[in-house]
Amino acid sequence: MKRNILLILIGLALALWPMGGYQEGIIILMCINCIAAMGVSILTGFTGIFTLGHAAYMALGAYTTAILTVRYGVHWIPAIIAGGLVAILIAWLIGLPTLKLTGDYYAIASIGLGEAIRLILENWQSFTRGARGFPGIEPYTTRICAVIIFIGLAIITFNFLDSRLGRELRASRDDSAAASLMGFNTPHTRMKALLLSAFYCGIAGALLGGYMSFIQPSMFDMMKSTELTAVVVFGGLGSMSGTILGSAAITLIMEYFRDISQYRMLIYGLLLVIIMVFRPEGLLGSREIWELFSLKIFKRGRK
Amino acid sequence: MQFTFSTFIQQIINGLSLGSVYALIAVGYSLVYSILLFSNFAHGGFLVVGGYACYFLLTQWGYSVPVSMLGALIASGLTAIITERLAYKPIRERTTTTLYLLIASMGVNIIIENLFVVTVGGRIRALPQNTFPTGVFKIAGITLSSSDIISLVTAVIFLTLLQIFLNKTRWGLAIRAAACDIRTAGLMGVNVTFLISLVFFVAGILAAVGGIFLSVRYSLYPQLGSITTKAFIAAVIGGLGSLPGAVVGSLILGLAEMLTAGFISSQMRDLVVYSLLVIMLLIRPAGFFGKAVSEKI
Repeated sequence: MKRNILLILIGLALALWPMGGYQEGIIILMCINCIAAMGVSILTGFTGIFTLGHAAYMALGAYTTAILTVRYGVHWIPAIIAGGLVAILIAWLIGLPTLKLTGDYYAIASIGLGEAIRLILENWQSFTRGARGFPGIEPYTTRICAVIIFIGLAIITFNFLDSRLGRELRASRDDSAAASLMGFNTPHTRMKALLLSAFYCGIAGALLGGYMSFIQPSMFDMMKSTELTAVVVFGGLGSMSGTILGSAAITLIMEYFRDISQYRMLIYGLLLVIIMVFRPEGLLGSREIWELFSLKIFKRGRK
Repeated sequence: MQFTFSTFIQQIINGLSLGSVYALIAVGYSLVYSILLFSNFAHGGFLVVGGYACYFLLTQWGYSVPVSMLGALIASGLTAIITERLAYKPIRERTTTTLYLLIASMGVNIIIENLFVVTVGGRIRALPQNTFPTGVFKIAGITLSSSDIISLVTAVIFLTLLQIFLNKTRWGLAIRAAACDIRTAGLMGVNVTFLISLVFFVAGILAAVGGIFLSVRYSLYPQLGSITTKAFIAAVIGGLGSLPGAVVGSLILGLAEMLTAGFISSQMRDLVVYSLLVIMLLIRPAGFFGKAVSEKI
């Protein structure tokens, strides 16, 4: 309960704090990146399935919403939800055969599938306008809209992770054999995690389209997928607050270096290597941020 | 596009030539995978280093072609060793999760690519025309360029040398032992740190050869390394960790790509490559020659 209030307060601060257009843009981008990262965190951090192709679900969400709003005049709220649902549908079709793969092989398959989806979007000229991109999307992603969706999804996510389903995910990550002995249907669990993560990424992609007013298949390439997984690892596998902090931090750092765009990717690469070398367990490890504080209070009490 | 026999043969030749370049790169992937069990995405970076080293030795410092190429091989091999020491060694000493190595290798790839963007600029360069003997033979309507022949021959030479190195030398024996079980090999007195550096050096050399061929075939630019994704897919199709598998996978991929480009459309070639990858993973995740790993409980 305290956690939900805290999240709502953060949301209010993000949504109502007076700021200029540039800062608003950063907040919107931060919310979008956090939504996508939360999705990948459910799959990678909490279920232990590594993906290198989730940018494709963002692309699906973005294109579905863009095509529905621009071509068919659908209102943007149902269009965003439709974007998430299309991502879920494709994830289900992909997940049926591929989730059986274990270890690195799922990650490799997800690279292939992610790139395949991007190439299909790129070559389906009549429907998606291909590599030139899809312009003229209504700029529906305002700061308020992005913050509300982000905080809403964050509250749902945290409560969901404490629920039976959340424990089911963790059990199937930690020891899938023991989990199935306890009566969990682990293949179903893995599928649920994939569908949820695809939904989050679809929503994030839809919001990104509304923020940029323009989408292009190359925005959702393997680089973006890697970034999503790297952010989750940076935040800490199995820590949702870590994921959000990590994603926000990376967004801010990358924005800070926007002026020297030549060096931006160089710094990004260095960051990836430095994080992996010096802190592979990520910012928070597998703990949530309030656990850190309560731990300290607990220790003080024992003295 | 009409189906003619001569186009078919033409595309087979193009496919084999492309496949042989893939093979040089894919074998490097597989070699590293066989020892450290992770996919080294920095391989594309090593390739770019090789390409640029060759370019600058030839054009800026005016060395002869063989010297420049030798220099490129060494530069690339050393880059591979330095990468391993600085980025991978601290990670693999701390954890057994190979995902961290995978992400670090992607980081290294981005670093190398953008170091070239920042220092020499992103513009497209071409190796001088006289790097390789040029010439085109026409036999019964089929064009056979000398660069096709050279890349095939070079690939065969380097892969044979690698085979001899792995099978006839003491170091090769140590590498094969480490591929079986790196910890036991270490206990048996193999200097594992040195061995891993050696493997990276060899992989770097092979990447540089691939890089030189690619920069002759296409052109040289910092993002040239992204083509190694295809070689990586070839290594997966053949079976990660298996060297013959990498070669077979590369030839299959090269042929599939060129036949698609010749008879369907050249935009579909990448889609065919990724579909092949996914289909292979669904049917036989370990590839044609890979060790089928059963899940450990």
